[in-house]
Amino acid sequence: MKKLPILIGALFLAGCVTVPPNTFVVTPELLQQRQLETRRYDGIKEADLITASANVLQDLGFNLENSETKLGVLTASKQRDATNGGEVAAAIIVALLGGGAMPISKDQTIRVALVVRPVNDSNGNAMSESHFVRVTFQRLVRRTDNSTIAQTLREPELYQDFYERLSKSVFLEAQKI
Amino acid sequence: MRYLFTAVLLSLSLLSGCATTNQRVLDSGDETQLQKRSYQSRTFDTADKEKVLRATISTLQDLGFVIDRADLMLGSVSGTKLDGHQIKITVSVRPKGTDRMLVRANAQFNITPIEDPKHYQDFFASLEKSLFLTAHAGE
Repeated sequence: MKKLPILIGALFLAGCVTVPPNTFVVTPELLQQRQLETRRYDGIKEADLITASANVLQDLGFNLENSETKLGVLTASKQRDATNGGEVAAAIIVALLGGGAMPISKDQTIRVALVVRPVNDSNGNAMSESHFVRVTFQRLVRRTDNSTIAQTLREPELYQDFYERLSKSVFLEAQKI
Repeated sequence: MRYLFTAVLLSLSLLSGCATTNQRVLDSGDETQLQKRSYQSRTFDTADKEKVLRATISTLQDLGFVIDRADLMLGSVSGTKLDGHQIKITVSVRPKGTDRMLVRANAQFNITPIEDPKHYQDFFASLEKSLFLTAHAGE
């Protein structure tokens, strides 16, 4: 009966990973994320705001993938290098200790989705010159062993920096420069 | 030893799965088309397609999805959530009669379809809050 653990192991392999519970429930953490990803812009029409946003994405080197201006949606992506010093150093140390080649990050696809939606006034009607912009960044990192890591970026600094750039672009758009 | 060999063979056959390519393409499992539709759909008492679509987009964003594409005429929105795993969802919104909208969602987790009605219930509960409308069950 010594072989029993092997059998159980094989059975586990046959099973599959399940969807995490509460995947489709809005949690307090997700609401915090919404705060981080959203800014309000007043005194600009939706079409101008979305043009300003598309310009910023181009400033950041993104290629536009999809857009539906009638719903205020823009998506864009770019491929970039993903090597970082810390990881390379760790891999060298592991190799020196005889641990063999450790996979490190090679390149990454960075995706962004930007959505503009009108702010509702107290009667629930959409305002024509006040909008929320919400942006989310994701990245898919490919490692040297061709495995991938998928993540949504959550650093507040990233979003602050992005919105500073968008504010500048909105200003330029409003002045028609 | 022979007993062990049979057992290993059995678990290996489970590993390779028994679904054929056709079954995978058509996702034909134990559920009927109607069963799937009933837990993946809800109706809302509004005729405003754009409002429902915009609410769907913000609900998906609230849930941590990045919008991949959206189309007002077709009434569809697709999004992806990356969090160590990948979840893809497509939501379609179409008029039902003159004063209601039918919202239907289907999602996949990594490489398997999400078939637990609970997840769809959660999704529609989140959408209800963002729309300020009650979801009605059924096609």
